[in-house]
Amino acid sequence: MRIYNPLGFLKNIDYFLFVPIIVLIFWGVLNIYSASINEYPNIYIKQGIFGILGILLMVFLSAIDLRKIVNFSIILYVIGIFSLIFVLVAGDVILGAKRWINLGFVSLQPSEFMKVIVILVIAYYLSDKKSPISIFDAIVIFFIAFIPAILTILQPDLGTAITILFPAVFIIFIYGIKKRYIITALIVVLALAPYLWNHLKDYQKNRILAFLNPEKDPLGTAYHIIQSKIAIGSGQITGKGFLKGTQSKLYFLPEQHTDFIFSVIGEEWGFLVSILVLTIYLFLVGRIFYWGLQIKDNTAKVVCFGAASILSFQAFINISMTLGLAPVVGITLPFLSYGGSSLLTFSLLIGTVLSAVSTYKKEKIQF
Amino acid sequence: MKKNRIIFVIVLLSIVYIALAGRLYYLQVLKGDYYREISTKNYLRLYTINPPRGKIFDRNGILLAYDVPTFSLVALPYIVHNNYKKNQIIKALKDYLGIDLSPEIIEAFEKGYITKIVVAENLTDKQIEKFYNKFYLFKGFYIEVVPKRVYTEYAKYMPHVLGYVGYPSYSQLKNNPYLRPDVLVGKSGIEKMYDDFLRGSPGYRAVIVDAYGRQKEVLWEKQPKRGKDIYLTIDARLQKIAYESFKDSGQPSGAVIIVNPQTYQILALLSYPTYDIEKFTKGFTPKEWKKLITNKYKPLFNKALYGLYPPGSIYKIIVGLGALEEGVISPYERVESGAVFKIGKWKYRNWNPAGCGKINIEEALEMSCDTFFYQIGLELGVDRIVYYTHLFGLGEKLNKRIERKVSRIPSPDWKMEVLNENWFHGDTINLSIGQGYLAITPFDAIKIISPIANGGKIYKPELLKAYFDNKENKLHQIKPVLVRELNVNPFYIKVIKKGLYKVIYGKKGTAKVLRDAPVKSAGKTGTAQVSRKKKKDKNKKEEVKWELRDHAWFVDFYPYKNPKFAVAVFVEHGESGGRVAAPIVKEIIENSVIEGIVDEDL
Repeated sequence: MRIYNPLGFLKNIDYFLFVPIIVLIFWGVLNIYSASINEYPNIYIKQGIFGILGILLMVFLSAIDLRKIVNFSIILYVIGIFSLIFVLVAGDVILGAKRWINLGFVSLQPSEFMKVIVILVIAYYLSDKKSPISIFDAIVIFFIAFIPAILTILQPDLGTAITILFPAVFIIFIYGIKKRYIITALIVVLALAPYLWNHLKDYQKNRILAFLNPEKDPLGTAYHIIQSKIAIGSGQITGKGFLKGTQSKLYFLPEQHTDFIFSVIGEEWGFLVSILVLTIYLFLVGRIFYWGLQIKDNTAKVVCFGAASILSFQAFINISMTLGLAPVVGITLPFLSYGGSSLLTFSLLIGTVLSAVSTYKKEKIQF
Repeated sequence: MKKNRIIFVIVLLSIVYIALAGRLYYLQVLKGDYYREISTKNYLRLYTINPPRGKIFDRNGILLAYDVPTFSLVALPYIVHNNYKKNQIIKALKDYLGIDLSPEIIEAFEKGYITKIVVAENLTDKQIEKFYNKFYLFKGFYIEVVPKRVYTEYAKYMPHVLGYVGYPSYSQLKNNPYLRPDVLVGKSGIEKMYDDFLRGSPGYRAVIVDAYGRQKEVLWEKQPKRGKDIYLTIDARLQKIAYESFKDSGQPSGAVIIVNPQTYQILALLSYPTYDIEKFTKGFTPKEWKKLITNKYKPLFNKALYGLYPPGSIYKIIVGLGALEEGVISPYERVESGAVFKIGKWKYRNWNPAGCGKINIEEALEMSCDTFFYQIGLELGVDRIVYYTHLFGLGEKLNKRIERKVSRIPSPDWKMEVLNENWFHGDTINLSIGQGYLAITPFDAIKIISPIANGGKIYKPELLKAYFDNKENKLHQIKPVLVRELNVNPFYIKVIKKGLYKVIYGKKGTAKVLRDAPVKSAGKTGTAQVSRKKKKDKNKKEEVKWELRDHAWFVDFYPYKNPKFAVAVFVEHGESGGRVAAPIVKEIIENSVIEGIVDEDL
């Protein structure tokens, strides 16, 4: 006999995934407080509110059947595309780029949400396809991601555009497209590279050049990379202590509460905690990847692989950037960087994964 | 789902994780100390606080030079470079502070140099107020207090004595650990000689600054110690008299030194022409500077201390005293001294073609008889002449702070070493009348006359009368230091003294112009030949080029009975000691009486 239990879904939540993420969110608020208290004294509260919203969103999604979410994603995709067009026409300009829609009480960045929506639409499309997929399917999947990516590049926001494309490419790769197509694609990309380079904006070129050769222009773009390395290195093994980072408190770090939050952590908490953060991300990615392999349902698989690819991509590229191992591209550190859109996007992503997991658990038990 | 692709992904993730962990280990553990140091340098700035230099007074407490604070706008170009577009900051400086930037400063901003640059000096109160009101517009700029030297009106009579200040040169910094690049240091004159008294020690302020160069917090501060105030032996009134007396002579170039022969305290030290000392703090235009350094009378050069010139007949004082002490001649012995002195085939003329007749040493000094001194000089010999010259203190730094150039006293060894030639009798003969290779500083001329005035004592020359000790809060007087005595028969000094008296009061004296002076004095003229060539044009003297004319000297002491003042006047290419140099001394004495510096003889 089954008794209906309204909170029964809670026991199906994967706490190995959920608990570390709650820890990351609140620990992120703490570090945003440290990074921004001198310049913007209130934003950590905002981040805290978004954090709670994100947790509620994840709990909510985990209670919903994955198929319902995926079916709904087509509508979200259409809304998303229109939002991106709207942003280009009438968006708020911040830091020279049109990325935000101002809703009065809060500004949202539709391109952020598009990362998750694209994965969901791909999951929907692949739900009844067998691996390996055909070249036609691969092209369809690519275009699902390519349209919002192009609209995002026009903002211009190269980093987010690449993040939108990345899961699609990853899914095509892992779903077993033939090797010769991969090789062909690589050749095409290499052939187009000079053309793409010419179409990059000057500041984007500068960032890449500065990354390749930081000593050439120590006071320009590379200044940020150098200051970030100084911040992290000077943290040594145990860090300078909470609120005691000089690099962040005295503004030597650029965008320290958003893209460079890891530098603040490295400076104030030191090597041991930095390694712990890095390991948490590896663990989360591994856990999601594990579910992708474990669950037999195709839709859930795509959601898990897509989520794992985005999470690993953003976390490792962002950390590489602060360590001077990658060029400065505007990619946030999941759950730790300041920003409501980024936080809600990743909550949405993990919520969907939690939904996939609990749906799978339920079905495995009940059927 | 291809298994090998999943393995590929797992391997790739592991590699990335290991790479990032390794990078963290490298930055934070292996190079942690290095980056910790850099981060400290990033936010910690050590500012030097310039100490005010000590004030300079004359012997009677007349203020000559002191410091006032001025304000400079200083920038850290790399911060400006990172925060502003080029035209943005140029416009902000122009609109709010009215400052136009030079091309060098604009270039510094464009290139983003690390070291600070001075953007504007001597800011007005209004500019300072505007700067602080609009502080947020000027990231990377701050205002620095810079002490500047200010001079009183008496300073213009003694720029060479006071000297100027500036920032230390690279070699000064290397040689003196107490100097700092942004603390002013004496470059010449008293400012340099007594820099260790005047300089004080700088203060420091350690400040935490943010990435925009804004001061966030003062960590610690050490106040600067002001320099010691000093009182010179110079009498500003007498210095002014010396300056004006020389100027009135119409001569373009020369030097006047006045000391107290009883102590060797320097009362006046003039090098003429002078220069405008205030220009060194206010700044020269390139045109003014070029005019100054190309002026043929060399205004910047301190001729009194560092110029070397043949002394001519004033040197006969030393030769005469040496000859008496060594018994070459006795006080009343008469020597036939004609128009020409011959030795072998060589002829040595007397300045006066009429000759001198049979004369004793007093008369020889009176009429400055060359042929007399040729004979006693030759008999005394070069070694003994050189011995007495050194005995008087010529060619010796009696006070190392003041004298940095020594006179050239030739000797057979010197000639062999420098010219690789033997010493001839002719050289001794020339030396006997202060010609030939001999060249002395005008300051050494004072060393010739002073021992005659004081009865044979050599003191350490002093420019410093007293200094104020800030620690003990009291004035320290500098006492005269007796270096040595001539140790010659006092009677012989009296004989020389009598001879010098006759230079003025004798029938054939060469400086009879001083008879009219209100104070009785005794002295010796000197007219030193510079070039032989002009002799040919003797009839057309007017046309002799300035550079070829004879140097004119006069050394003197007064009052005759109880000498308080010894004077040396040098007129570069002045042609005649008696006609040109001596009248300057006369005017000095006259004006000194008017000013009450010396009492008139009744």
